[in-house]
Amino acid sequence: MSSAIPPHHEPNPTSTLLVEPSVLVVKRHHILVRCSHWLNVPLLLGLILSGISIYWASPIYQHKPDPVTGNFDVAADIGIWICAHVPGQHHYASPPDWIYNHMSLGPGMLAVALQLHWLCAYLFMLNGMVYVAGLIMGRGWRSLLPHWADLFDALRMFRYYLGVPFAKLTHREWLHPPFNTKYNALQRAAYFSVPVAGFLSVATGWAIHKPMQLHWLAALFGGFDAARVWHFWLMWLFIFFVVPHVILVFADGWDTLRSMIVGWSTKVDRSEVIANEQ
Amino acid sequence: MNNEEKGNSLEPKDISSTGTEPKLETTKLPEACPEDTNPAAPIATETPQAVEAIEQPVDADGSPSSSVESAPQADEKVPPIAVEPVSVKKPQSFFGEQPLPIIDMAPRVLRYRTRRDLLLFGAGAVAAVAGAGLLLPQTTLSRMGVRRDMNSRGKEWLLNKALRIDDDVAEALYSRNRMVPTYTKSQITPIKNNYNGATPDPGYISGWTLTLDGLASGLSVSLDIRKLMNRFPVHEQITRLVCVEGWSAIAWWAGLRFDDLLRAYSPKLQAKWARVDSSVNLDASGNPDPYFASIDLATARHPQTLLATHFNGLPLTVEHGAPLRLLVPIKLGLKNVKAITRITYSAEEPRDYWAPYGYSSNDGI
Repeated sequence: MSSAIPPHHEPNPTSTLLVEPSVLVVKRHHILVRCSHWLNVPLLLGLILSGISIYWASPIYQHKPDPVTGNFDVAADIGIWICAHVPGQHHYASPPDWIYNHMSLGPGMLAVALQLHWLCAYLFMLNGMVYVAGLIMGRGWRSLLPHWADLFDALRMFRYYLGVPFAKLTHREWLHPPFNTKYNALQRAAYFSVPVAGFLSVATGWAIHKPMQLHWLAALFGGFDAARVWHFWLMWLFIFFVVPHVILVFADGWDTLRSMIVGWSTKVDRSEVIANEQ
Repeated sequence: MNNEEKGNSLEPKDISSTGTEPKLETTKLPEACPEDTNPAAPIATETPQAVEAIEQPVDADGSPSSSVESAPQADEKVPPIAVEPVSVKKPQSFFGEQPLPIIDMAPRVLRYRTRRDLLLFGAGAVAAVAGAGLLLPQTTLSRMGVRRDMNSRGKEWLLNKALRIDDDVAEALYSRNRMVPTYTKSQITPIKNNYNGATPDPGYISGWTLTLDGLASGLSVSLDIRKLMNRFPVHEQITRLVCVEGWSAIAWWAGLRFDDLLRAYSPKLQAKWARVDSSVNLDASGNPDPYFASIDLATARHPQTLLATHFNGLPLTVEHGAPLRLLVPIKLGLKNVKAITRITYSAEEPRDYWAPYGYSSNDGI
């Protein structure tokens, strides 16, 4: 995608004529951070798929039963609406199950969904510890801490990201806000809050799972029923994070993706790269 | 130390592999001043520090943290001209971000590492997809278009293992002295009649007795509801009943303590479990479908484990398991057997109605 060599690179004075100039790289992500990052993909998928199947057994969002169908589940209503209005879904066999058939393991499989959820949840907790170990060993944790001035900078970054497609379409100049840290303010906000959300999902999960032995934990989230609501919306937080996260990493280029797989990045000094791009 | 052969074998034609590099080389040619002290080296060799960098990934395969340790070492060898554009700031505070150590690296090393790790990544992705195929329920897979029967012993074993680990955690979290939260009457919520299947005909109540088996006396004891209520003190509690499905209800119960019954009719010495039966349960079509659950005696002795006779201040209705039901708030609702007809003490863990369906039989919450 982009040149493997930073634009400011100058060849090594010791190199011979026929030798490639060396590249400057930084180790951006520790191996444990990279492993836990990618393990989150199957684990979160497993947790969400089984979680929505568990949700089916007793939906949080209910209304009075429909006099005709007897349906009381808002998620089932959405499925019914999709089957009625989305082309190609008109002949779907069981409209109330549409959401669960497409976004979970399926309806009516609570027992197996619980088994998968426990398996993924224990692995997710272990994976979280691996991530924290990687942050400490790779000394990456400091880059995630939000700065005092981040709110304004994050809004500037947000404005920049929103404007990029428009600027590309109209061939206008659209300057990347300058920063000289590993992450920009919006990235810091995101990469700091997602592990916090992971921790909170685990905490609310335990509050729902053991509401008697850990009743203080359930009380911390406002009781058993409120902890279920927390747990449900924390799942959405991951989904809301993942979508722009994946779009932006592809927009940002190969170097960023490679740094999460290989660990090394040739963007040794971000501010320099940005200055050159401008 | 000078191990060029290794480096060359990694990628024989790396010089012309990237389009941008020759361009850079031509523009910067005048600045390049060969200092190679080893005239015997082949043309395509790296500079000494580049060879150094090659050795890292080759030697440190599988222990990538060593490249972090060797980073400052490589940093030292970077000539001043290459370091110049990098702003090296001293960390201001403990929480302040520190600049990452910059490593001078031969492009072929970067390419080799990239290719190797991408292959590993691809292998991991394939393994994850295969793992998902092995783990997901057959109905989910067939909906996704997988025709093959993917049920296997390994899948059953792994999912059961997760369930057993979770049961062990439940056991570890349980404390005999920990009381479950109690509520006030204003916090009572509606409770749904979740009779498994159909509600039985109330005709059984008139002839109802509770049979105790597996007692220390070796006898089988039958007790009617009047005897039970006259013999034992009544305890009241407003507690939450939590269903495995996720719903819960705060309700006002009253009844005798299971512990009191255990003291009055002591089980045989080796007994650790009680099997609680309801012979009046019906399935969805109204056919007899006896319900049963296992309760460990530690749970049965918990002061909040009741044999409930009253709900909301009135004798239990058929929907709530008249005339006597188990109320064990430290376990999921499915252990709270309605309309108990028999309690059998045993040394071995009895079966649970729901266990064959894949539910845990511990259900401690």
